[in-house]
Amino acid sequence: MTRIRRVELLGGVLLLLLIWLIVYPLILVLIEGFRGPQGWTLDFVRSFLQPHEASALWGSVWISLVSVLLAAMVGIPLAFLFGRYDFPGRKILGWLVALPAVLPPLVGVIAFLFLYGESGFVSLMIQRLLGLEQPPWMLQGAGAILLVHAYSMYVYFYLFTRAGLASLDASVLEAAASLGAGRWRTLRRVVLPLLYPSLGGAALLTFMTSLASFSAPYIFGGGFRVMTTQIVATRLNGDDELAMIETVSLTMVALIALWMLRGPRRLDSLAGGRKGMAPVRVRVQRRGVRLALALLGWGLAVLLLLPHLTLLLVSFVPLGTWTTEPLPPAYTWRNYLTLLEDPVRARPLFNSLWLASASTVAAVAIALAAGILSVRSRVPGRGLIEGLLALPWAVPGTVFAIALATAFSVRAPLAGRFVLVGTLWILPLAYLVRNLPITSRAVLAGFRALDPSLDEAAATLGAGRWRTLRQVTLPLLRPALLAGASLAFVTAFGDFVTSIMLYTYDTRPISLEILSSLRQSDVGVAAAYGVVLMAVSAAVFALGADQGSGG
Amino acid sequence: MGGEGKGGSVTARVLARCFRALAPIFPLLPLLPVLPACSTDDRTPVVLYSPHGRDQLTLLERAFERHRPDIDVRWLDMGSQEILDRLRFERVNPQADVWFGGPSPIFERGTQDSLLAPYRPVWADRVDAKAIGRDDLYFPVYRTPAVIAFNSRAVSRAEAPRDWDEVLEPRWKNKVIIRDPMASGTMRAIWGLILVRSLRQTGDTARGMAWLRRLDGQTKTYTINPALLYEKLVRQEGLVSLWDLQDILISASKGMPLGYVFPRSGTVVIEDVIGLVRGSRHPEGARAFIDFVGSEEAQLLAAREVFRLPARHDLPPDSVPYWVAEVEREMVVTDVDWNLVSTRGPEWMRYWDQYVRGTGEK
Repeated sequence: MTRIRRVELLGGVLLLLLIWLIVYPLILVLIEGFRGPQGWTLDFVRSFLQPHEASALWGSVWISLVSVLLAAMVGIPLAFLFGRYDFPGRKILGWLVALPAVLPPLVGVIAFLFLYGESGFVSLMIQRLLGLEQPPWMLQGAGAILLVHAYSMYVYFYLFTRAGLASLDASVLEAAASLGAGRWRTLRRVVLPLLYPSLGGAALLTFMTSLASFSAPYIFGGGFRVMTTQIVATRLNGDDELAMIETVSLTMVALIALWMLRGPRRLDSLAGGRKGMAPVRVRVQRRGVRLALALLGWGLAVLLLLPHLTLLLVSFVPLGTWTTEPLPPAYTWRNYLTLLEDPVRARPLFNSLWLASASTVAAVAIALAAGILSVRSRVPGRGLIEGLLALPWAVPGTVFAIALATAFSVRAPLAGRFVLVGTLWILPLAYLVRNLPITSRAVLAGFRALDPSLDEAAATLGAGRWRTLRQVTLPLLRPALLAGASLAFVTAFGDFVTSIMLYTYDTRPISLEILSSLRQSDVGVAAAYGVVLMAVSAAVFALGADQGSGG
Repeated sequence: MGGEGKGGSVTARVLARCFRALAPIFPLLPLLPVLPACSTDDRTPVVLYSPHGRDQLTLLERAFERHRPDIDVRWLDMGSQEILDRLRFERVNPQADVWFGGPSPIFERGTQDSLLAPYRPVWADRVDAKAIGRDDLYFPVYRTPAVIAFNSRAVSRAEAPRDWDEVLEPRWKNKVIIRDPMASGTMRAIWGLILVRSLRQTGDTARGMAWLRRLDGQTKTYTINPALLYEKLVRQEGLVSLWDLQDILISASKGMPLGYVFPRSGTVVIEDVIGLVRGSRHPEGARAFIDFVGSEEAQLLAAREVFRLPARHDLPPDSVPYWVAEVEREMVVTDVDWNLVSTRGPEWMRYWDQYVRGTGEK
């Protein structure tokens, strides 16, 4: 009896913690949106009900929907290619293809400009090849936004689908085959339904990311309106209240999407609890096909890594020398030396490392607690806990930064508000909140896939709860934990939108250093920082992917 | 498993188990001790929030610290709007001591939120009294004139447009690159100039908006930040832009092929100001820094090294760099009613964003 109460107590504590961290700041911000100088008002709502505001919101929604579609069209086939077939170079290619996830903020989009912009490398090549007078295209408008989105977000579909494929039960496929189902039929009736939870997760992540996407529409949008850029324009114009209403409207859309995409999660139980072996990869036998697949794979990898390579190239270009030539005329180490020479400039790298590590460790701990309480102990209110953990997905990074800054810039301990703004702690806290959805999704899915009988076996063998956790549960969860943690780490490590509101002199992160260099138009130094960021992220990512698939 | 000795193996096994259990977070743990190295020096920190960029901030930091070895100048480099946001959030726990730089309208918004504390620097009488904030809340340090900029490799100085209206000539069709005016103090000031001119001539802003619509028709693209603006000009994606003098001079000094022309009919000059943050934790050091920034030494240093046009008019003519004298000779300043731009500006910009942007005849 006491045991149950203790679990419930812990569940309550976790619930309170999540409400305090996630819901409370948002509510405080919401209240500000409806309070004018003379008390409560709906004026701002009225000014929101204008055609161009609606068109911005609609722009956000359809861009996000199409981004999901495009990302799925690229990511799912790639996942099948690398997850189901075996051919030379599969392993390394499988990892390379996931690298768009580590393209750093700010400079990443600039790499796109250098490549496909109207005076970019690829555009110039095509222009010269075809002898055109004008550049072949303008990287602008909805099309350009979608291109960048599809490129940077297919990785979600790719990773989630691969994870889903890896957790398929071979015996189910064999059963389908022995019952006479053809390959297509098995795919349609067996494999895809089993992949629904993974696909749902990927769709949700893509939708949310593209709804909150700022740099792509800002840089490539031209006159195309989406809500995120609209919010910034409104804020810059000094209409803080209208900006708040716009923010609320965007958050509402995100919440609706979150609620609608909750459905597939119920299938988790169906996909989980796998007892058999993962299906063996189909070894491609015919030499011609193997060669074609390998070529296709490498071709794809090079195409997908072009922005990374561009960034690397730019990081070796001295300032102002690369003008109208297709390739830079001069190279230098200077940009990297600049980073190393001055300890003040090397510091952000260490800052970002510890900030991202601390927040990731904390997020994993909370996710683990949630997993134990919600999946294992099935405490009351577990649905709420899981909903809250996913909530930060629905809120754009800038909004969360503002919410946290609002909540924690007032001294009112009884109301749960402390002054954290301007301290070391606000930034890791912000990263933590933003990391929760990714880590908890991975960990909860991992818990669901665990066989509860293993726990029972450990208990009958006399292992205490801690021992079971340490020796049975955690080792089994390792792949899920690592996958979630590495994705969370990479996100926090490169974070820009949250950081810019909340960093202090002692916690200035690497992305702010990139911004600072860009403001001086030191594109080379910015790119060098970007390359360092990319390298660390890729290494962490490799660790996660490697352990994740090997576990 | 039992192949090891008895004594040490227990610990080893426990360790191994712990390791295995904690493996997921292990790779991250070693990084934790790199927690912020506590500042080991006992100098008083003075924190600046500034949009001025690394080069200038480092320059002034070093020069000031030579005078005051007991002070450690720390700066955070961000956009003017971000500074305003942060100062608002940090009102109860101010982190900044000095708000260094930014156009006066944004400081004006700051004063409405009581973010600044009055301080009259020792050089207060040497600058234009009109540019001083009320109650001594902020003071001008530099002047930032708007200019017509061009790619000097593709366009000679003689060919370049010499006045605002010449930018609308057919030969610049689709050759103009503009920094997104919503996000830029400089661009807002230029828009303000055009609209105030229209207001003065016709009594309303319609003619000004029509002018801006024609400019929109000339404009190839709006860029989101200055870095991209220079990049596009340098790569000849566009040839002409409207931008501020200092940035063009500094980019040219770094080897970019950029030139500028002062519009003949007159340009706007943005007052770049400085103020003491209310609740500053190191007010003495902050005041010393503000005094330093307007000193003859610092004004000349900024003019020589980073092309800042000094706000002070009393600098000895023989020590002022050549370009300053040239600018003072060529520059025609239009008097713009900044109060009007401050109060009506947001409304104008909103109108422009909704009804003018993207409607020009291409």
